[in-house]
Amino acid sequence: MIRTGVLAILALACVQGEAHAQMRAPHASEAACEEPALRCATKATPAFGPDGTLWLVWMAGGQVSVASSLDEGRSFSTPTQVTTKRLNLDWGPDARPKIAVDLKGGIALAFSIFRDEAFNGQVLTTRSTDGGKSFAELKPITASNESQRFEALALDEDGTVFAAWLDKRNRVPAKEAGRKYEGAALFFASSRDGGATYAEAQLARDGTCECCRLGLAFAAPGRPVVIFRNIFAGGVRDHAVMTFTDVATSGEVRRVSTDDWQINACPHHGPSLTVAPSGTYHVAWYTNGKARKGLFYAHSRDEGRTFSAPMPLGQPGRNPTRPFVLASPAGTVMVWKEFDGEKTSVQMTISRDDGETWSPPRTISSTSDTSDHPLLVANGRQVYLSWMTKADGYRLTAIEDQP
Amino acid sequence: MRRRFPAILGLAILIGSAAALGAPPALKPFERGTWQSVLKGHAGRPMLVHFWGVTCGPCKVELPLLGQFAKDHPEIDVVTISADLVPNLPAATQSMLDKAGLSSTENFIFSDGFVERLRFEIDPAWQGDIPRTMLFSRDGTVTTIEGSAEIPDLEKWSAQQLSKH
Repeated sequence: MIRTGVLAILALACVQGEAHAQMRAPHASEAACEEPALRCATKATPAFGPDGTLWLVWMAGGQVSVASSLDEGRSFSTPTQVTTKRLNLDWGPDARPKIAVDLKGGIALAFSIFRDEAFNGQVLTTRSTDGGKSFAELKPITASNESQRFEALALDEDGTVFAAWLDKRNRVPAKEAGRKYEGAALFFASSRDGGATYAEAQLARDGTCECCRLGLAFAAPGRPVVIFRNIFAGGVRDHAVMTFTDVATSGEVRRVSTDDWQINACPHHGPSLTVAPSGTYHVAWYTNGKARKGLFYAHSRDEGRTFSAPMPLGQPGRNPTRPFVLASPAGTVMVWKEFDGEKTSVQMTISRDDGETWSPPRTISSTSDTSDHPLLVANGRQVYLSWMTKADGYRLTAIEDQP
Repeated sequence: MRRRFPAILGLAILIGSAAALGAPPALKPFERGTWQSVLKGHAGRPMLVHFWGVTCGPCKVELPLLGQFAKDHPEIDVVTISADLVPNLPAATQSMLDKAGLSSTENFIFSDGFVERLRFEIDPAWQGDIPRTMLFSRDGTVTTIEGSAEIPDLEKWSAQQLSKH
């Protein structure tokens, strides 16, 4: 009798303890809801298909889903779930699922999961050959069991899918040899079958920052360019670009700017890159260096050998973050977020002279709760802002022609 | 009467075992307005506030060093805030704090999905990079260390706090 009573109380105490713990550390979600539906997404990435269909991949409720829109994002097809079970998706602020739609309508996807409790990542890939109705079984992009995160995908003119990511495999041999190893490494691989299988992963650069997104574009057919936060001598985490000789051969590391941000930390804030039809590289990034602090833009007209003087973006008192730049026939557009203490707004500026001059920034969207990064996507005629917000759902907003 | 006895005995066992185990205070939610109450609660006392997160590599290295610093310097109020990212993970956060010897300090975890707003209340210029440490002197002087703090720097600062006292 006594034992029963004690057990009952212990059980009750455990239940109460659990409830109490939940009350004290309430689940604070950046998601509006916990289902796989788009309205619950925390990150959504767009791509236009060759026929003008908008494709969207998103993560919500631990699942990755894809749907398409024929009416500029006003309505979407019934989503296809890419994942078959709830996964521990990489929820870092710079992580997001990636999508590339080729000329035949094939869809290549990649995204990261946390593979263990130490937050080591794994990049998974899949493709659809039936117009997004179904996706192949998920496959790791590389056989390595060391951490990989922050993958980027881009399509070459001939349909080759090029992938780059941050990989920690070289930390282990360095540690065993007693060598110091900072950060991670830039790795890459390409796929000749539309993202079904990838060639063996290759090292492009050791000693990169380990927690920032990459920017990826093609400078010319067969020549990918990656922008990444490198670790320069003395632990300085400034940006660099690498133009590949071809999809299987890495290139030189070229510094974008000497910001002199010496920090042993995770900035969680990666750069953005686009290449204009003229061949100009347009880049935008965040730094908190000794030389400059905040968001900056620069361009290079010689494949990254030299860059223009960094141009500051945004109002310093409004915490400008998450820059994104996209070149299009209509002009080069840049967006970023600002926060005024209550609302997050998306600021936009446009250049019609390949980055020489920029229009005064203006607010093109805002929201009163948390939001994904503002992204730009173009269908060849029109540039759109693609923005997932907690309070207002998914938004696709045409960037108006006149600033 | 017979029923009440086991209940009282059970409670006594619970309280006794909790006291014996020295159950650490649970993570406190860090929400809108929490920052101001932390500042008010420690006003006039030297305080070290450490921002960190479970997915941050440099934080994993620094946290045990900070645990030792807290143990060596009971005169400094050490406050940790898990500001990693949302969704924050209370279990993983508590586990890392325990291993670092920081179970008994005042530990918070970001508990509002709108992290931009939380960070803005602390420092409008902070973009979320971690680790980050803020040192509050008795006179209210604030020193912010971006990235991993050097323990000798913290030792020097804490010695200054004692000499000012």
